[in-house]
Amino acid sequence: MKLGLKNISKSFEVVKALQDVSLEFQEGEVHAICGENGAGKSTLMNILTGNIQPDAGEILLDNQTVIIQNNQHARSLGINIVYQERSLTDGLSVAENIFPLPPTKSFGRINFGQLNQQTKALLQQLEIKEFSPATMVSTLSPAQKTLVEIAKALATNPAILLLDEPTASLTDKETNILFSVIRTLKQRGVTVLYISHRMAEIKLIADRVSVLKDGKYQDTLSTSDCKTEDIIRLMVGRDLQQVDVATHTIEEVVLSVKNLTGRGFKDISFDLKKGEIFGLGGLVGAGRTELAMAIFGATTIDSGTILKNGKRIINKHPKQGIANGIAYLPEERKTLGVFLQMSIVDNIISAQLYGKGYSVKTNNQKAGDYSKKLNIRSASVQQLMSKLSGGNQQKVVLAKWLNTQPDVLIVDEPTHGIDIGAKREIYKILKQLTADGKSILLISSEMEELLLLSDRIAVMREGKLKGILNKRNTSENEIIKLATQ
Amino acid sequence: MIKDRIVTLSATILLLCIVMSFLFPSQFPTVENFSQIMLNLSIDTIVAVGMMLLLISGVFDLSVGSIVAFSGGLAGYLMYYHDVNFLVAIAAALSGSLLIGFINGFLITKIGINPMIQTLAMMGVVRGVALMLSGAGIQNFPYEYNYIGQVKILGLQSPVWYMFAIVLIFSYLFKNIAFFRRYYFIGSNEKAAHLSGIEVEKMKLWGFVIVGLLAGIAGILLSSRLGAALSSSGKGLELRVITAVILGGASLSGGQGKIVGAFLGAAFMGIVGNILILTRVSGYWQEIILGVILILAVGIDQLIQKKK
Repeated sequence: MKLGLKNISKSFEVVKALQDVSLEFQEGEVHAICGENGAGKSTLMNILTGNIQPDAGEILLDNQTVIIQNNQHARSLGINIVYQERSLTDGLSVAENIFPLPPTKSFGRINFGQLNQQTKALLQQLEIKEFSPATMVSTLSPAQKTLVEIAKALATNPAILLLDEPTASLTDKETNILFSVIRTLKQRGVTVLYISHRMAEIKLIADRVSVLKDGKYQDTLSTSDCKTEDIIRLMVGRDLQQVDVATHTIEEVVLSVKNLTGRGFKDISFDLKKGEIFGLGGLVGAGRTELAMAIFGATTIDSGTILKNGKRIINKHPKQGIANGIAYLPEERKTLGVFLQMSIVDNIISAQLYGKGYSVKTNNQKAGDYSKKLNIRSASVQQLMSKLSGGNQQKVVLAKWLNTQPDVLIVDEPTHGIDIGAKREIYKILKQLTADGKSILLISSEMEELLLLSDRIAVMREGKLKGILNKRNTSENEIIKLATQ
Repeated sequence: MIKDRIVTLSATILLLCIVMSFLFPSQFPTVENFSQIMLNLSIDTIVAVGMMLLLISGVFDLSVGSIVAFSGGLAGYLMYYHDVNFLVAIAAALSGSLLIGFINGFLITKIGINPMIQTLAMMGVVRGVALMLSGAGIQNFPYEYNYIGQVKILGLQSPVWYMFAIVLIFSYLFKNIAFFRRYYFIGSNEKAAHLSGIEVEKMKLWGFVIVGLLAGIAGILLSSRLGAALSSSGKGLELRVITAVILGGASLSGGQGKIVGAFLGAAFMGIVGNILILTRVSGYWQEIILGVILILAVGIDQLIQKKK
């Protein structure tokens, strides 16, 4: 089946996730879609599977306009998806997972014979020989589970299959098995939409690749006659703002991380200088957040040391991290950063509920001061956090951490999901902080932000530090290359 | 919303009182009736203060009723069978109650047992211990022990004064002291609280210890007031107390509620109970009505949450 998108647009509050995107997918082709984080890939997937409705534009199936109402409707139209997160039940067999609505005999009893037969036929078609229909899913490896997911999606006989980062948790060998399955599908005329960050894979498996950037369609290339460089250039391809922001770095090491290893990161070493903004670049899942949390004390480290002003510190709990002058502004503001049902004051003092100095009066005073300083727009400091805009909420969280008087401020995706105006304000605040002698560890998936603010940029990939680049002589291309290859 | 709840609940209580005063002018609005209502709700309220603390942090404790029986039972057992001084007996009973709270909290936070399962199991265990201690009931306490719960000050029996003292003290603590404020943060967003440096596990453990202690105090007051320790004391208390606290503005999802709400919720239920007696509704109905009130309270809470 041919699938087409015509002038699709979708916004979430202030963020334009997709703008006027048109794409065409041929029957029986493997079509890769790539772009940086936030380019609009997930939004596109969600529209195609009926999870969300586009604000404008149409979807064409074999040149017929369709409105995909929900997930089920998408499936009945022949569109199915294999998500990054798994949807399998560990306690059931492969067959039961693949067919959630199994064939039945009288009184609703499951017809296991027929179920296993069906599953066997399906697995044979896909040339999967590694497990049988009766195998318990709990005994399978991540790769095998991915194959079960794909089989489950194929059980509905889709004409169009969406794969969202299917190789994220797979080894090279397992990836090869997946690719052979994809090739089998292709021969059967299934259209495969393949979302991935990994350039090498895209070149290997896809026929064509379309690039999205900041919600806009860039171009479609044929993988047989384009270079990886070309794809990267399209992903980056914006006029970089040459804003030269003065550095406030002083040659004095404040925080020194040595051979730090923990869950999600391995053997990381770097020095953070006084007044420096040290950027941490990489893709989502590269281990940057895990590293930050470990330095702060929110998770444990397996080995390695952290020195602050030359002295070894051990943070086993955020409380110790705070006491040692480290602050951590988490990503996912709503779930990790704010207390939505509480007031601005309460949010601002929430990292200072130990030690002396708690008093309603001084709390209100502090909150008032920060409101003015950071330009937090609210009716009063007693206002509930849930009533504020994302940008103002983030400023409150920033105030909360400044209030702990840290020397090192770790900010994790500090401008995620907030509008451009508030973004600029937060940039200004961060730069001002370094002028006041604070050091900042900036985690950001937005290249522009990383390049604009950082004095140096370390790039991580799959838990390892791949290189530290000096802002003066690096480029977005170089960062993406380190992050993806 | 919380403020609203305090206001609406107070207004409802006031309205009930006015209506009842017209319907039963000679029985309802009397000093005697009111001091009786207060006395009846004092034990519930003391435990409800602890339950409010737990619900603010997003958990609850089903073993409180059994702890009430255990505390009175242990004090009575020591005084009656071993001639222990009444102060020592009280100290032992309170320490025991505190220990039960600690075990609850420890197993829930360190081992990770679900709070409902842990405290449900503890409810059974402690009820059994209370039965062993007080058997068919213990009487003949020393005069000093009975004095604690039976003395009248300004026309009100002492448990009423203890109740007011505990409500006032905890109200103050929950407004002004950082330690107690942490419970709001934990209940509002546990992960964010952790990242704010709050020792979530330790605080929850303390929560169960405090509830154990308050239930222990309630147990001493109840047995002293009755002049007897009964193994059936505090049966069904957990249901009444949770109902009171939910009525008083707590939410099962945590982060909401005020201590004074615990008192108002218990007061509402106390007055409803009094009305049922005055209108000669049978005792069986009381249980039914209690259950219905809880379902209504939680149901309304859910509807409000959904609207948000």
